[in-house]
Amino acid sequence: MSSRPLGSIDRSIEVELFERLPNDPSARDELVEAFLPLAEYLARRFDRRGEPLDDLIQVASVGLLNAIDRFDLARDVQFSTYAAVTIVGELKRHFRDKGWAIRVPRRLQEVALRINAVLPELAQEHGRSPTIEEIAARCEATPEEILDAMEAVQAYSTSSLDTPVGEDGIAPVEVLGEEDPSIETLEGWASVAPALQELPPRERRVLYLRFFEGLTQSEIAEQVGVSQMHVSRILAQTLRFLRERAETDPPRGSGSRGADQ
Amino acid sequence: MPDPSSQDAVLVSVPASPEYVNLIRAVTASVAARVPLSFDAIEDLKLAVDEGCARLLTVSRAARRMQLRLTASDDGLEAVVSIDAEVGTWPPPNIEETFSWRVLSALVDTVALDLDGGAPSVRMTKARLDPPVPSEAP
Repeated sequence: MSSRPLGSIDRSIEVELFERLPNDPSARDELVEAFLPLAEYLARRFDRRGEPLDDLIQVASVGLLNAIDRFDLARDVQFSTYAAVTIVGELKRHFRDKGWAIRVPRRLQEVALRINAVLPELAQEHGRSPTIEEIAARCEATPEEILDAMEAVQAYSTSSLDTPVGEDGIAPVEVLGEEDPSIETLEGWASVAPALQELPPRERRVLYLRFFEGLTQSEIAEQVGVSQMHVSRILAQTLRFLRERAETDPPRGSGSRGADQ
Repeated sequence: MPDPSSQDAVLVSVPASPEYVNLIRAVTASVAARVPLSFDAIEDLKLAVDEGCARLLTVSRAARRMQLRLTASDDGLEAVVSIDAEVGTWPPPNIEETFSWRVLSALVDTVALDLDGGAPSVRMTKARLDPPVPSEAP
């Protein structure tokens, strides 16, 4: 049971890397490289809970970076141990925050799919975004069910909703605009620029359309080729991601390690 | 405070913790649906409430309770989230240049960061349905 953990390196090398870390960015890269297998291994242990593995690996990598930033050589603990705890903590938090450990009831999934189907129809008929009452009437569901389904979609992963709206099944990524929207140039967004770089193109594009172009969620759904509820989920999750990164990336420079603001 | 319009206000008080933001969001959506706000507007308001709560929970770890106050009017819905902790500086300096402010002001029609007796709040309004374009912009 107590075999060498993945990604473990000799204590002497570990010490050397952490001593170089404050002044040498390459030390950080080496640490990331050495311990990425550990992050991936831990991410895999959380697989099959309704979250794409790629996302989990990304979450685990964020945990690894946090661990590297917070590790203190003075503590009498191997980095791999410390990193594993931090990474698992990050993964658990990911699930807890999003409630993905809980399954969406089938009934709500069905309602969500129906909402997706009727939203464009109703918008067309009324020339505006519909009310919940209007959606409920068309879906033969109660307004409460509609609201529950909306919340469920935003909070949980329901991969069947991620499929493109078009019947030809073009992957949403294919219909992205060619231009690379530089949302970082938006006033106030510079602080999240590094985190923006980590977002997949579609997520960046949705942010750009909502916050730069000022399109409504229904308009974005049409442009990007996904359902409106999927747009809603992308926005909710992306904003949450940026927020978390903004909170865990304090301005660098001062020796604020261990400071509890 | 005998403000007659506040009789219809919905008040929710939850522990000041991220796990309860879902509940705040769900109540907001439920009340917004009755006003009614459009589907698009409700989704935007939910995101804004999310952001508002996150902002408040970041500014103070001493808060014990987080409160949501929803008041419907002829124009739409006002949502105010607040925490019961005193903070030094609110709104934060240069708030209008922050990511948070940008997100909030894009999602709702008006945002205001207030201090009520030392306790910080985020006040947001969202118009009912899709209102016609204002005929005379100043």
